[in-house]
Amino acid sequence: MSVQNSRRLAPVGWLLAIILVAAWPSLAPNPFFVHLGQTFAYTAIAVIGLNILLGLSGQMSLGQAGFYAIGAYGSAITATSFGWPIWLSMPFGLLVAGLMGVLLGLVALRTRGLYLAMATLAFGFIVEIWAQRAVDLTGGTMGLFGVPQLDFGDFRNVATYTFWVCAAALILVQLGSDWVFSSSSGRRLRAIKESESFAQTVGLNVPLWRTAVFAASAVLAGLAGVLFAHQSGFVSSDAFSIRLSIALLIAAVIGGLGDTRGPLLGTAILVAIAEVIAGFHTIGLIIYGGILLAVLLLVPEGAVGMLRAAVKLVRRADLPATASEAPVPQALTPRPPPPGTRRGGSLEVVGLSKAYAGVVALRDVSFSVAPATIHALIGPNGAGKSTLINCVAGLYRADSGSVRLGDHEVASLSAHQRARLGLARSFQNLQLISGLTVIENVMLGLPRLAGEGGVRAVMRWLAGLPHEEAERARAIAVLDALAIAHLADRTPGELPYGHRKLVELARALAQDPSVMLLDEPVAGLNPLEAQQIAIALRRLRDSGKTILLVEHNMEFVMDLSDRITVLDHGVVIADDTPSVVQADKRVIAAYLGADDIEAPESGKVTGP
Amino acid sequence: MTLTNFIQLLVTGMAMGAIYALTAKGLFIAHLTTNRVNFGQGDFLMAASFISLAAIGAGLPLPLAVLAVVTVLSLMGWGLERFAVRPLDRFGAGRAGGALAWILTTAGMALILQNTVELLWGKSSQYSPPLFSDRRDNVITVGQIGFFLEELLIILAAFAAVGAFWWALFRTRWGRDVYTVAFNPDAASLLGIDVRRTVTSVWIIAALLAAVSGILVGPLVTVHPHMGLIFTIKALAVASLGGFANPIGILVGGILFGVAEALANYWDSKYGDLYPLLFVMAMLVLKPSGIFGESKADIR
Amino acid sequence: MFSARRFIVAAGAAAAFLAVSGSAVQAQQTTVRVGVIQGLSGPPAIVDFGESYLQGIRLALKDHEARNPRTRIEILVYDDEANPQRAVSLAQRLIQNDNVAAVIGTVSSGNVLAFAPILQRARIPLVAGPSIATDITQRFINERPSFIFRCSMVEQFQIDAMLDWGVRNFRRIGLLHSTTGYGNFAAREIQEGLRRRNVTLVATEAAAPGVNDLTAQMLRLRDAGAELVLNFHESFELLYRPLPRINYRPVVAGNWGLSSMKVLEIVGREAIEGTVMGQALDLNDPKARAFDERMRAEYGSAYRWPVLGALGYDAAQIMFRAIERVGRSDSVAIRDALETLDGVEAISATPARPFSPDDHECLDREHVFLGVWRNGQVVRLEQR
Repeated sequence: MSVQNSRRLAPVGWLLAIILVAAWPSLAPNPFFVHLGQTFAYTAIAVIGLNILLGLSGQMSLGQAGFYAIGAYGSAITATSFGWPIWLSMPFGLLVAGLMGVLLGLVALRTRGLYLAMATLAFGFIVEIWAQRAVDLTGGTMGLFGVPQLDFGDFRNVATYTFWVCAAALILVQLGSDWVFSSSSGRRLRAIKESESFAQTVGLNVPLWRTAVFAASAVLAGLAGVLFAHQSGFVSSDAFSIRLSIALLIAAVIGGLGDTRGPLLGTAILVAIAEVIAGFHTIGLIIYGGILLAVLLLVPEGAVGMLRAAVKLVRRADLPATASEAPVPQALTPRPPPPGTRRGGSLEVVGLSKAYAGVVALRDVSFSVAPATIHALIGPNGAGKSTLINCVAGLYRADSGSVRLGDHEVASLSAHQRARLGLARSFQNLQLISGLTVIENVMLGLPRLAGEGGVRAVMRWLAGLPHEEAERARAIAVLDALAIAHLADRTPGELPYGHRKLVELARALAQDPSVMLLDEPVAGLNPLEAQQIAIALRRLRDSGKTILLVEHNMEFVMDLSDRITVLDHGVVIADDTPSVVQADKRVIAAYLGADDIEAPESGKVTGP
Repeated sequence: MTLTNFIQLLVTGMAMGAIYALTAKGLFIAHLTTNRVNFGQGDFLMAASFISLAAIGAGLPLPLAVLAVVTVLSLMGWGLERFAVRPLDRFGAGRAGGALAWILTTAGMALILQNTVELLWGKSSQYSPPLFSDRRDNVITVGQIGFFLEELLIILAAFAAVGAFWWALFRTRWGRDVYTVAFNPDAASLLGIDVRRTVTSVWIIAALLAAVSGILVGPLVTVHPHMGLIFTIKALAVASLGGFANPIGILVGGILFGVAEALANYWDSKYGDLYPLLFVMAMLVLKPSGIFGESKADIR
Repeated sequence: MFSARRFIVAAGAAAAFLAVSGSAVQAQQTTVRVGVIQGLSGPPAIVDFGESYLQGIRLALKDHEARNPRTRIEILVYDDEANPQRAVSLAQRLIQNDNVAAVIGTVSSGNVLAFAPILQRARIPLVAGPSIATDITQRFINERPSFIFRCSMVEQFQIDAMLDWGVRNFRRIGLLHSTTGYGNFAAREIQEGLRRRNVTLVATEAAAPGVNDLTAQMLRLRDAGAELVLNFHESFELLYRPLPRINYRPVVAGNWGLSSMKVLEIVGREAIEGTVMGQALDLNDPKARAFDERMRAEYGSAYRWPVLGALGYDAAQIMFRAIERVGRSDSVAIRDALETLDGVEAISATPARPFSPDDHECLDREHVFLGVWRNGQVVRLEQR
């Protein structure tokens, strides 16, 4: 997505939107279109919430109608039964919806995938049942009457005022959505969607983010409900069935999940379909089902995807054909690393043990990595290397033992806390976010900078100006250090494997680590590429970074490492310089005695 | 509560729970192999009920009617996989349609199915005659406990299905194929397993489970074109309770859910449908992947 | 980026469609449009009511056209999916986009209550039905003029008739109701009605709308010794199924829905024998019998509910006669005509002059009676 080019036109788009909203009540062919405009506006708000939840963070919710209902009742009940003024009852509705969102978000933390779908589905039903049965409070299906409308004292223009309020809310929410999609928050949510353990290792407090995004989507669904309640003036529990949750989901998907423009298009299509087929009720479900299937099977990126494809088609005709050529693989000539603020620290592992269901994976493992050295961890398959590195990184919790990072004892800290203390890692199977460009992937690793998301950045963004120059500059510097700055605006999927490895290294480097954990940095690379990585790692060490790497390529390890720790069956069997380790009888025995012996220099794709 | 009432409710609850379990097993086998399920599983059951009652109504003897249902449902299972699920493989999971697109494609098929049944048989409830008797009130009484033959059969069918699954998954080549495909489809095809055929067979089996429960459930409940959703939802609840990866867990979860429902309706019928949902919600919090667990660590 | 342009395109497309359908009305001056909102999709508990009522409306339209009238009437039928939000949107559309002169509908009382104020404000007459909540017309009757009429059963009338009969003949009465608005509403009226008669229910059981089995509830009613069970659950047939297995034979009485031929078909002739329900159509009346036969010929097996069809027919014929008398699409005049219309030959128990300024109900208390299933037919219950 080349967001940058179209960004410049953003203020014009906003201006147009505001003009359209202001003029719509007089442009509309008849008042019914103002009514449709209201419905469109508040429904789109709920769909935007779902798009952020599902499209960005990858969490499924089949219970959005529940939040919608809670928002509607929160405001309607306080405004009627308790006589609160609208300006108080509406925020109250949002508050209650948000609180329920936090609650359900906490439940969602414990579940994934289908189980999460089930939990949200159950939530939706529970709210519906409550609304239907708690008649004294909600009025049940017979409804709650006389919910004050947004007439501002002038009842003849209630439709226009309601439309303006709903549309203004939509514009603000859409602004918020655009900001999320084009800022670090969006990148972080995408990272969580792709892999939670990865997101933790770049320092994200994943549970916090997941709960927050649930709450945000709940507030947006609640806002839609609040606006609905005051639009219709009548709230009945029949409006909040599972059909509403599904309709919101359909709108999000038809529009295009994971794109900030999707909800607007999807909601417009949903509203239009409902009116167009209102007269054909006998085959209504076939039409809905058919549209769903057609969109998902033929244009899975939804209406936005279709538009994007159409735009690309037009653009391609204009552009010279060379623009889409693959990059010429250029020799890697790494330059000096960027000036980091953190110096290399030490890493000390003492007495670490870990067992899975009684099977011991690590037994009393101790070793220490000196600052500004390259330290390798080797061992035959099943030796416990992966477990060890995951215990150090914090993805697994060791049963006992201590991990010291510089002066900090980190064994009891979570992965994201360790990352923030200066521990960066790369993964054996690449963890690059496919929807982001190379530079955005690298920016994911950057620690939070002062001024990020500040007023100045938001103002610049609103004006259509670049708003992340500081972050981009730092990311470019990191890429430049690895001589891949020219790839900044490509997506990882377009790059050869060796380049992707470098991008992953760049992302780890962007975290400004004191210690880097590299899991098989040259697996799958040809000797030339491996050589380039070796050069890069040496430079990093010379600039003061501490590196702990796991690798099967013996030539690479022996050539590069300052010290080597050898693990077999979860026990350290050697810990010394390369030359000593190479001659160690136990090490040779461990490798030769292992079930599957492999040529030491061959790269391995799949590890233990 | 008297003991007879309790046992009566136990029988009824078990029968209902067995239906949920059978439906949930359709979800289970598809989920095990492909990590996807048919959100229209309940609607497949609905279609099976309609075809069954139409066939019986047309004067077909029971075995032929069963054959008709089984044939049509197998075709539906095949068609669902072929036209609504498999095409999604063209798109990677990271793409916009998303890793959960199958929820909506299978639900879309369910909507089309509901509408088709409406067009064929109307929107009303239908009378579904008992399978083994001419009389509607043909009750078998043991002691003071009365039950319908279909209830007994459906409980038996649920147990038989678990047994069959157990045997097929752990004792046959097909089962090995299923687990290999479940573990890694690419590796499976390297090992010479016909991944497509395995996946297709799994979706057909899921549809057949709907066929069996659809035939048996017709005489026990009210048959109408929108009866499916509630079965899908309860089956999802049951599979979440028992764990999507455990055939025995699903049977236990189903029966637990059915009995809980019957007892909740007895104690407080006003909120009888709420308690089982709260129970499931609580279990999801306490045991996030089912009572019998399905632990898949997110290791990269 | 905000895609204002795209929204305009989408809205434009929808506008074009609606405008085309809207412009037809200006072309033909003599055509009057009537909007019909009914619950036409979803579970049978809604659809059976909506479709049956609509069948009556369509037959009335046919009869209207056969009379070769001055005024052509066109009906626009929309499905409200039993969702009040949708119902309100459809009412707005009928008024503002489709320019209808009057509206008939719908099943869910909550939906009627949701859009009735809109029609009252827009001064467009509504003949509500087949919704039955007691206070639908009462809420507006003092507005003078009220635009809200109804041609349907009135819950309170049928419940009162039933309770009068019930307390005379049974000592122990139990209630089964659904947890929907309809069921809760009925339950409240029954409890209040019995309190006035100094009787208490021996058991009150509820069931969700999507429930499949009522064994638990029926056990409670049996153990409470209920001789008469009042059935106010929309899935009318559900109550009967567990009875043989728990060896329980209560008399069942309930909502007029129990007179559906679909209920007869599912429950069976023997099991339903003696079931009592509110009625407003007497099939012993030759006019009603002729209507019954016409509906059967017209709709075949899709015809399932004589009393609903009859009230739909009456609602529409009253509406059409009022329009014919006015002769143009003038909703205020049509309202006035409705209020003063006389000489209606209704199929149901609706009187010749259905409405007056103080009475906007087709059926009044004296028109509602009790029916009972005897040998596969609903006949008037003769009371001692």
